[in-house]
Amino acid sequence: MASSEFDSAQCLERVRQHDQDAAVALVKALYPLVIRIVRSHCPRRSDEEDLAQEIFLKLFSRLDQYEARTGIPLEHWVSRLAVRTCLDALRAKGRRPELRMGDLSEDQRAWLEFMIAAEIAPPDSAAVSARELVENLLSQLPPEDRLVISLLDLEEKSVKEIGKITGWSVSLVKVRAFRARRKLRQLAEALKRANHYDEF
Amino acid sequence: MTSFDASWQACAARARQAPTREETPPCGFTGRVVARAFARNEAGQAEVFGQLAFRMLAGAVALLIVCALLEAPHLRGSRPLETGVENAVAELVWSL
Repeated sequence: MASSEFDSAQCLERVRQHDQDAAVALVKALYPLVIRIVRSHCPRRSDEEDLAQEIFLKLFSRLDQYEARTGIPLEHWVSRLAVRTCLDALRAKGRRPELRMGDLSEDQRAWLEFMIAAEIAPPDSAAVSARELVENLLSQLPPEDRLVISLLDLEEKSVKEIGKITGWSVSLVKVRAFRARRKLRQLAEALKRANHYDEF
Repeated sequence: MTSFDASWQACAARARQAPTREETPPCGFTGRVVARAFARNEAGQAEVFGQLAFRMLAGAVALLIVCALLEAPHLRGSRPLETGVENAVAELVWSL
C-alpha cells in the first residue's frame, strides 16, 4: 500500500500535467501494492515484471477515468485494475501444466502428507517449502479461485477487504473461497493417489 | 472446519512465515514504465491532431465539389467563373 506520507491527489494532478517526477513517485508508491497482487496470481518470477509494467501502463492511460469516480481511494481503484489485468493475462495463458508428485521436493511432500492425513504432526521443515507447496497447489486452480485463496490465507485479508479489491460481493468471495478450498482438497488427494499408483 | 481445512490453514500459516520477497521496483523499471507511458500519451495526442487534420481536408474537398457543381452550369455558356469563387477554388487546389 502507498505510504501515508504520499499525497496521491497532488501527485495525480502533477501527473496529469505531464510531470515525469510525479509519475516516478506514483509508480514507486504503488509498486508494493501492485507487485503483491501480481505475485498472488503469477508464481513465476519471470512474468511478474512484465505484468506489473502492463498494469502501470494501463493505470497511466486510464487516469482520467479515476478522476470521474470520486470517493474511491486510489489504492482500491489500482487494485481492481491490477486484478482485472492479472485475470485477463492468466485466461490468455490458458491451463497450466499438470502438477505431479515428482515436481515436489521431499519437504513439500511431507506437507502434502500432513494435509491429507491430519493425524500426523506438521513437518518441521523450513517455511519456504510450505510456501512453495501452497504456490504449486494454487497454480493449478482457476485464476479467480487462486486469487481469493491467496488474499485470504496468505495475505490474511478479510472478506470485506477482498470485496473492495476485486469488486466482488462479500457472499461471492465466501462462495469462491469455499469452492476453491474444496478444489484444493481434491487436488491434494488426486496428487497423493497418483503417487500411490506410481509406486506399484 | 474439515480436517483438510485445518491442516491447510496450518500449512498456510507456515507459508506466511517464509521471508517476503523484495517489494521495491527492480532497477530501471520505474524509468522504463514512465517513459513508455508518456510516449504513448504523446502518440495519442498526435493521433488526435491527425484525425482533426483529416476531417478538415475532407471538409475542404467537399466544399470544392460544391463550388464546382454550382459553377458547372455557367461553364457551358462560356461564361467565366465568378472571380471570388474562382480564386477560392484555385487557392484550395493549390494548397492541396
